[in-house]
Amino acid sequence: MHLTESFKIALDSILSNKLRSFLTMLGIIIGISSVITILALGEGGRNYITATFEDIGATTIEVSVTGDTLRDSDYFTLADIEYLKKSVADIKYSTPIAQARGTITSTKEKMTAVYSAGSQDLKYIVDAQFIEGRFFSADEATEGRNVVVIDENAAKILFGRNSNFINEMVNISFKNSTKRVKVIGVTKTLNPLAGSTNFGTNFPAVVYIPYNLYVGMNPEIEKIDSFFVSSADRDSTDLVAKNIVNLLKIRKNNTDRDIYQASSFLQALDQINNIITIFTTFIGAVAAISLVVGGIGVMNIMLVSVTERTREIGIRKAIGATTTNILFQFLTESVIISLIGGLIGMGLGILLSTVGGGYVGIVPVISIQQIVGVTLFSSAIGIFFGLYPARKAAKMDPIDALRYE
Amino acid sequence: MIELNNVKKTYHTGKISFEALKGISLNIEEGEFTGIIGPSGSGKSTLMNILGCLDRVSEGTYFLEGKDISTMKDNELANIRNKKIGFVFQSFNLLPRLTVFENVELPMIYAGIHSSLRKAKAKEALEKVGLLEWSKHRPNEISGGQKQRVSIARALCNDPSVIMADEPTGNLDTKSALDIMKVFQNLNDEGRTIIMITHETENIPYFKRIITFRDGLIVEDREVLKRKILNGSAAIDYIKIPVEDEFSIPDENN
Repeated sequence: MHLTESFKIALDSILSNKLRSFLTMLGIIIGISSVITILALGEGGRNYITATFEDIGATTIEVSVTGDTLRDSDYFTLADIEYLKKSVADIKYSTPIAQARGTITSTKEKMTAVYSAGSQDLKYIVDAQFIEGRFFSADEATEGRNVVVIDENAAKILFGRNSNFINEMVNISFKNSTKRVKVIGVTKTLNPLAGSTNFGTNFPAVVYIPYNLYVGMNPEIEKIDSFFVSSADRDSTDLVAKNIVNLLKIRKNNTDRDIYQASSFLQALDQINNIITIFTTFIGAVAAISLVVGGIGVMNIMLVSVTERTREIGIRKAIGATTTNILFQFLTESVIISLIGGLIGMGLGILLSTVGGGYVGIVPVISIQQIVGVTLFSSAIGIFFGLYPARKAAKMDPIDALRYE
Repeated sequence: MIELNNVKKTYHTGKISFEALKGISLNIEEGEFTGIIGPSGSGKSTLMNILGCLDRVSEGTYFLEGKDISTMKDNELANIRNKKIGFVFQSFNLLPRLTVFENVELPMIYAGIHSSLRKAKAKEALEKVGLLEWSKHRPNEISGGQKQRVSIARALCNDPSVIMADEPTGNLDTKSALDIMKVFQNLNDEGRTIIMITHETENIPYFKRIITFRDGLIVEDREVLKRKILNGSAAIDYIKIPVEDEFSIPDENN
């Protein structure tokens, strides 16, 4: 019997009771749409993070010293950092980072501030974008001159105007130490909420100061236990990290001790990727279970349908339908139901992930593989869960079936 | 054409066995118009099921057109039901979701006949029983007599060797019942072999041969001497009330 005939018979049966057919495929619709949404958003999230961090993270290396019994000489100096920059190929930028919380005061206002101290290369590590002025130079960093860079939001609050901040004076204060310094640059405020009138005043000022200014203000000098280095490109990151550790060991006379570590954000990125993968796999598994439930629903309804159509099966067999004909007829029906359910579920999944993604700022990833996968998988569910009812129908004895009321 | 040799059929339900047919031997030739009568439980439906290849013999042989049915597999039997036998049932057994036309087409779909030829043959069959204009109606929209005529049209489509009818007038009123008997008579006049079960003894005069069953055995098998022929052409106008002519063969003693 022709495939098209089977198809028509099956389709006619499905359309004859649209509500029931829809309720049957509902389980599959929900299952597939959840799987698609999770996968699309998961991939999209991964892309988002990768894109955001790749520029900086892929090439940034944090070098640190750790151990139980450390001598003062084990720690890093600015000279070490400069030395490495010159000696290791493919290092683009390097800077120590120290941070402190404190306050920043102008003649008009006082604000809390987060201070970050580093070398002139700090501006690359934090990807500072200037609306006025500039970052401090290598000389200013080494000499620890009294200069600062503040963010736009802070500048507006401290000086009560929207521009012309360069050369204004402020008092910086942290760790019980205060200094009068000059503003030489203003950066864009990264946090979008900081600019709003409601929250603006609650956000601390983001202030960058030269490392040796920080050291000068800080009577108990903190030893430099970590610094950041930026490699020329993504591929050289691993090699640069290795070279740094080796050179440090030699320079600091610590060839026998493994106290220096250089880890790139790439590794952190990998970890984030892993977490996303685990998360999506887990949720995906839950969604897959719901698909099984949906499939059981299909089987249930097909069984009812077969029982209801006992008479019909008897008639068909009496006029010449073979066991295979009947089997195929009912199997086609369950496959079509599952397939339609799968396609609707996919459409719904694409819709949900686009809307949901738009809300969170993630672009969902829908691929051809997903579409093909969904199609195949839905058909498989239809075949697997439809097989038992179809066999039941096919095996019916025509005489008994014809007697069924 | 049909040869039954000492056919027995026993049903087993749990511990109880019931012998429905106790040894039937019978030949039916092409062109016959045979009625099978007998009280209920006498085995006529069982015989029909076996003749129609819906059931198998427990003992004995059944040859249809020279082929041994008893050795055939299920799929082969389905094929025989499709191509060699045309069924007409008491309760019509039309598929309610298909139209009249689609019902008639159905056996041809299982026979693998392609669409255009199918539609031509279905049209021809419906014309023959006078229901072509009702092609697009559903079974629940037509009367009992019309339904039975659709069944007959369906049974004719694959050009079967024999038409088997199980109490085809059982669910019909008198007028429709006569209509249907007229259809069968006309088909038989064209050469079709027809075997029919009936419990209505008024139908006897329409047959050419009568086989009487009782308790699983044939108790009488005779030719019908005084036959009734129903008037009318091949295309039956179902509104007209049929006119009967009594046609009697003078018997020897008259």
